[in-house]
Amino acid sequence: MEFLLFVLAAAFVYYIIPARYQWMILLAFSYIFYAAAGIKLLFFLLFTTLTTYGTARWIDSVNISVTDKKEKKSSKRRILILGLLLNFGMLGLLKYSNFAISNFNSLFQKNFALLNFALPLGISFYTFQSMGYLIDVYWGRFRAERNPFRFALFVSFFPQLLQGPIGRFDRLAHQFFEEHSFDLTRVEHGLQRMMWGYFQKLVLADRAGVIVKEVFGNYSDYHGMTVAAAVLMYSIQLYGDFSGGMDVVLGVAEIFGITLDENFRQPYFSISITDFWHRWHITLGTWMKDYIFYPISLSHWMNRFGKYTKKIFGKQTGRVIPVALANIIVFLVVGIWHGAAWKYLMYGFYNGALIALANLLAPVNRRAFEVFHIDDKSRAWHLVRILRTFLLVNISWYFDIAVSLGASFAMMRATFQGFTFRTLTDGSLLNLGLAARDFVILAFGCAVLFAVSVIREKGVDIREALDRKPAAVRWCAYLALILSLPVFGYIMVGGGGFIYAQF
Amino acid sequence: MDKILDILEEIKSGVDFKNEKGLIDNDILDSFDILSIVGELEDAFDIEITPVDIVPSNFNSAESLWAMVQRLMEA
Repeated sequence: MEFLLFVLAAAFVYYIIPARYQWMILLAFSYIFYAAAGIKLLFFLLFTTLTTYGTARWIDSVNISVTDKKEKKSSKRRILILGLLLNFGMLGLLKYSNFAISNFNSLFQKNFALLNFALPLGISFYTFQSMGYLIDVYWGRFRAERNPFRFALFVSFFPQLLQGPIGRFDRLAHQFFEEHSFDLTRVEHGLQRMMWGYFQKLVLADRAGVIVKEVFGNYSDYHGMTVAAAVLMYSIQLYGDFSGGMDVVLGVAEIFGITLDENFRQPYFSISITDFWHRWHITLGTWMKDYIFYPISLSHWMNRFGKYTKKIFGKQTGRVIPVALANIIVFLVVGIWHGAAWKYLMYGFYNGALIALANLLAPVNRRAFEVFHIDDKSRAWHLVRILRTFLLVNISWYFDIAVSLGASFAMMRATFQGFTFRTLTDGSLLNLGLAARDFVILAFGCAVLFAVSVIREKGVDIREALDRKPAAVRWCAYLALILSLPVFGYIMVGGGGFIYAQF
Repeated sequence: MDKILDILEEIKSGVDFKNEKGLIDNDILDSFDILSIVGELEDAFDIEITPVDIVPSNFNSAESLWAMVQRLMEA
């Protein structure tokens, strides 16, 4: 509610002042927003802003002043490495030093004290966004921004600061700095999208989260179907929380006339793990593709390695192996990005290994289709693929949500102990903190979400369709959505914060 | 230009690389092929291809590949 008032206040000022100052209002409100979370944290935000601004400008000046090709390349590279080290170094220090210390301690029986850092909100997001910008300047995709305040807005734009989407300078800058006049339809769309996001968050995610918290928090007490049900609940919770959070973020940005990149595209309808990562947390995936996957795949050593594998394994398999290796590296980074813990590394490895296997086994797969006469274009097979992917994704959640890597394996084993469908009907699920009424609300909410997803998957723009309806119908839909929030969204877990804001 | 046609032929035979204008748009080359082509071009012309260059418009035809190579040789 406070956030909504903050947004409305910012929007009010934004549209009454002369349009050429609008971006300054966004910057001011962004810094107020971040300072409200903790004034000390501003230091880290400023650190990233200034070091990235400085190194990018430096690369730009080398581009102009140095004429010798070799010298230009090597000094640009040195500045890039400096910028990356400063920023990823800071991120590493804050986020990963305790992980390193505790592993070192247990490995060598030492007892070094853990560091007591508060992790700045959204640091993983704004660091990645800034480093993407720096690398783009290095590659010459665009020139460095000259105005430090304008650049500061790119790093700190408050809707996306905490949980993304991870933005790109070339798609955002012109939107920030052009003049926006008040457009009622756009503001209505923005508010609409925010409400839809809060619906997913408050009605679905927070409700499903009650069971997740109970079962995963006391994992040794539960087995069989109860564990499987909790994992399924986590599918609902995480999607509702993150995708709902994104709808809020994109809705807020839309109120200011700014279109951020989409982060989700019906991920649970994916037909493979590769497809899943094209639909889930899309901006992290494209960041990884552009700034980790390509640089690794295009590197000289990978080129050599690729030639070697082609010689040994033949053209078909040989060309796939380097890509498979690069994918595993990328997903290890994705795992580490989520947090400093072995379970996240396993989460990354699991995804990378599945994609690598799928690539390597593609020819076998094709052969199998021919032998067994499976029509891979049929609807039935499409459905099988969706269900298979959903199952594989749910297995990955064990690593994501369990309290530790050991716990995730223990819970996988426990799932198969005493597994019976009777658990669903004998009332034992009602002892996990949710009343029968809540299960009904959850089921109804999921049905609404599913219906919306199916319509979107068919390529229908729901908002445009809604715009064409009479105002009375439109406002009934809004009213139902808005009323559903206080009526059904009364459950709050852990203060109602968003999961991804912690990364 | 002939060198580029040789490289393409080596990576995927049986395609009319001389005339085809939609190598990417018509799904003739996949992502594995593109990475192989990049590796071969870098070696053959002593150039550095960065992710910025990996866009469909550069890979849609032998001519567009040749244009990219020439541009990178001058850079």
